[in-house]
Amino acid sequence: MDSNDPEGTVPGPRPVGVAGLSTPYRVLVALALGAVAVAACWHLALVFLHVAPSNTLSKRHARTIDDWIYPEFEQNWKLFAPNPLQQNVAVQVRAQVRDGAGGLVTTGWRDLTAQDTDAIRHNPLPSHTRQNELRRAWDFYTSSHDEEEKANGERGALSEAYLQRIAVRRLAGTYGGGDLLRIQLRGATTALPAPAWSTEQTDTATYYRELPWWTV
Amino acid sequence: MVDRVRAAAGRALARVTGQALGAYQSAVLRIGVAGTWLLFLLREFPHRRELYGPESPWGWDLGRRLIDTNDAFTVLMWSDSAVWFEISYALALAGGLLLLLGWRTRAASVLFMVGVLSLQNRSVFMGDGGDNVIHLMAVYLVFTRCAQVWSLDARRARRGGGPGPGGSTDGAAGPVLWAVLGLVLAYAAVAGHLSAGWAAAFGALWAVQGLWWAVDRSDPQGEARAALDTLANIVHNAALLVIMAEVCLIYATAGWYKVQGSRWQDGTALYYPLGLDYFTPWPDLSGLLAGSGTLVMLLSYGTVVVQVAFPFTLLNRRVKNVLLAVMMLEHAGIAVLLGLPFFSMAMIAADAVFLPTGFLVRAGGWAAASAARLRLRRRSQGKAGAEAGPTLPQPGAGSARAAGAGREACVVAVPGAGAGGAGPAGGGRAEGEAGAGWEVGSAEAAGAGPQAGVGAVPGAGAEPGAGAGAGAGAGAGAGAGAGHGPDAEVGRADGAGAAHGPDDGAGEVRVPPPAGPVDQARPATS
Repeated sequence: MDSNDPEGTVPGPRPVGVAGLSTPYRVLVALALGAVAVAACWHLALVFLHVAPSNTLSKRHARTIDDWIYPEFEQNWKLFAPNPLQQNVAVQVRAQVRDGAGGLVTTGWRDLTAQDTDAIRHNPLPSHTRQNELRRAWDFYTSSHDEEEKANGERGALSEAYLQRIAVRRLAGTYGGGDLLRIQLRGATTALPAPAWSTEQTDTATYYRELPWWTV
Repeated sequence: MVDRVRAAAGRALARVTGQALGAYQSAVLRIGVAGTWLLFLLREFPHRRELYGPESPWGWDLGRRLIDTNDAFTVLMWSDSAVWFEISYALALAGGLLLLLGWRTRAASVLFMVGVLSLQNRSVFMGDGGDNVIHLMAVYLVFTRCAQVWSLDARRARRGGGPGPGGSTDGAAGPVLWAVLGLVLAYAAVAGHLSAGWAAAFGALWAVQGLWWAVDRSDPQGEARAALDTLANIVHNAALLVIMAEVCLIYATAGWYKVQGSRWQDGTALYYPLGLDYFTPWPDLSGLLAGSGTLVMLLSYGTVVVQVAFPFTLLNRRVKNVLLAVMMLEHAGIAVLLGLPFFSMAMIAADAVFLPTGFLVRAGGWAAASAARLRLRRRSQGKAGAEAGPTLPQPGAGSARAAGAGREACVVAVPGAGAGGAGPAGGGRAEGEAGAGWEVGSAEAAGAGPQAGVGAVPGAGAEPGAGAGAGAGAGAGAGAGAGHGPDAEVGRADGAGAAHGPDDGAGEVRVPPPAGPVDQARPATS
C-alpha cells in the first residue's frame, strides 16, 4: 500500500482512492481488491474453458465449469463455424382432420418455413417469431432425438411438445370447420448448389425426415 | 529496479482504486445495450405474447419444466397470469429506457437485468447471438459505474455539486424507489420465488444502495463515503475488464472455430449464408455478392483474419482503432445483408467499449451540438427578443452551482498534486463540462441563440477546446480554473455558446470535457 501519503492530517479535501483512507479502511479496501480480483479472474477462466473446445482442463473440471456457467453465463460464439450451414431446412406439416360429415381427411403438406421466409423477405427488421422460433425449435428437436426419432430424456419430450404447439398454432384456420386429430411433421433438407464460379458438384435433391404422427 | 516495480505497482493501485476507468466507454456500452434492448422490445411489441407470454408455443408449463432443471432466473415463473406478463414486459421496457437515460442508474441497471433475464429465460429458444450478448452485458453492467457521463444521474450530481444531499443522492425518487424495490424483494423472498443465491445477490445490492445513500447524506466528505467510492471503483474496474475480455473471447472463439472449417479455408464460406432462406431478406443483394468468387473469398478470409487478430491488436492503439472500425462496418453490413439488426447493434455496442476516449468525447459533443441547434431552431422561431433575459448566466444560480463545482474541484486538486500529474485534476473539470455539452447545450443554449455575444465571451473558451483534443493536456489549464466558482461558470457559458455557435465545427469540440482514461476524480454518481 501507498505509505508515503499522510493520512488524515491534511485538512480539507481528501485524496481519491486508497490514498485518502486511514489504516482500517485501507485493510478493508485491500481485502475487497483481492476478493474482486480473484472473482474476476475466476469468472474469466471459467468462461474461457466454457467457450474453448473440449480440452484437458475443461474435461477434468467439467462439473465446476457447468455449475458456474449455467444458466446465466451460457454462451456460444461458433457463429457460422467451423462451417456455415450449407443447406436449407424447411419444416413442413400435414394434418389429419375429422370433417363435418365425420370422415377422416388428411391434408397436403404445408411448408411452415416458407411462411417464415415470406415474412423475412424485404423486411429490414425481421421478428424473432419468424427468424428463430421454428428454426430453433427444429434444431432443438433434432439435437434431442436419435435417428429412430427416439427422445433422449426430458429435453426430447420438451422439444416434441414445443414443435407440436408451433405446428398446431400455425395450422389454425387452415382446415375448415373440422377437428384436428393428428399432425405429422417432416424436415425437408436441400443442399445449396455449389457456387457458379466453382467446379464443385453438389447434390441438390431434397431429402425428407418424417416424424411419426402425433395425436393432438 | 525494485523501486521502479514498487512505483509502478503504486501507480496501478492508485488508478484502480482512485477512478472508475473508462467513463465514456462504459457509458456508451450502457446506452448501446439498453438502446438495443429497448428497440427490440418495441419492435416485438406486437409479438410479445407469442414470444414470452400466454400465447407462446413455448408454453408456461414447458418453461416451468425446463427451468426446474436449470434454475434460470425469471419473474415470469412467479405467475402464469396474462396481467403479470404484461406488467413484466412493461417493466422490461422501463428498465431499458431508464438505463438508457441513466436515471437512478444503480436501480435501473438491476431492473434492466431482471427484465432481460426474465424475458429471455422464459423462452430460451426464441433468442439468438444478439440476445446472448445483451444477456451477458445486462449482468456485467450492474457492477459498473456506467452513468458517470451522458446520463441524468450525472446531470443531477453536477447541478448539486457532487456528493452530498444536494447532489447525486438528491431527491425523493431514490429513497422511494429503494423502498418499493425492497418491498418487492421481501415479497419475492417470502413467497419463495427466489433461490438462495439470487435472494442473497439482490439483498446485497439493495443493502449497499441503502448504505450508500445514508453515508452520502450524513457525511458526503467523510472517510466512509470515500471508502465506498473506492470500493465502487474497484468493482467497476474489474467489471470493465471482464466486459472487455468477454468481447475478446467472443471474437477469439468466433475466429478460432472458423479457422478449423474447410469452407473458411477454401474461401467459400460466406457464399452459403447468402443462400440460406432464413438469412436473406434481400435475395437480390445477397445473390449479387455471392456471384463474385473473388469477393466472397476476400470477405471470408477478411472476417477470419479480423476476428482472430482482434484481441492482439489491443496492444497497439492505432491498429486496434482501424480494426474496430472495420468490425463495426462489418456488423452494419450483417445487419442489412443477413437481416440481423439487433444482433449487429448489440455487437456494435459491445465493440464500442474499445473506442478511444477522444473520439467518444467528440461524438458526444457533436450529438449535443446538433441537439442544441435543433432545439434552437425550434425555439428561435418568432421570439428572438423575448429570450434575451434568461440567456445570460444568472448570477445567483450561477454562483450556487459554481460553489458546488468548486467543492468538487477541490477534492480533485490534491491527488493531482500528489500523483505528480495534472491528469486527475482535469477530472473535476471533465465532469463539469460533460454536462455543459449534454445539458447546458440543450437547456441554456436554446435561449442563448439570439445573443451572438455569449459564445464569444470568455477567452478561456479556447482552452477546453484544445483540451478536448489533447486529452490530459487540459488538466493543467482546467485545474487552475476549476477551483473557482466563477471560472467554472464561465466554462459553462462557453460551452453553451459553443453549442449554438455558428455552424463551424470548432464550437463543437469545445463542448465536452478533456479526458483521458484519467478523467474521473470522485464521481458523484454511484
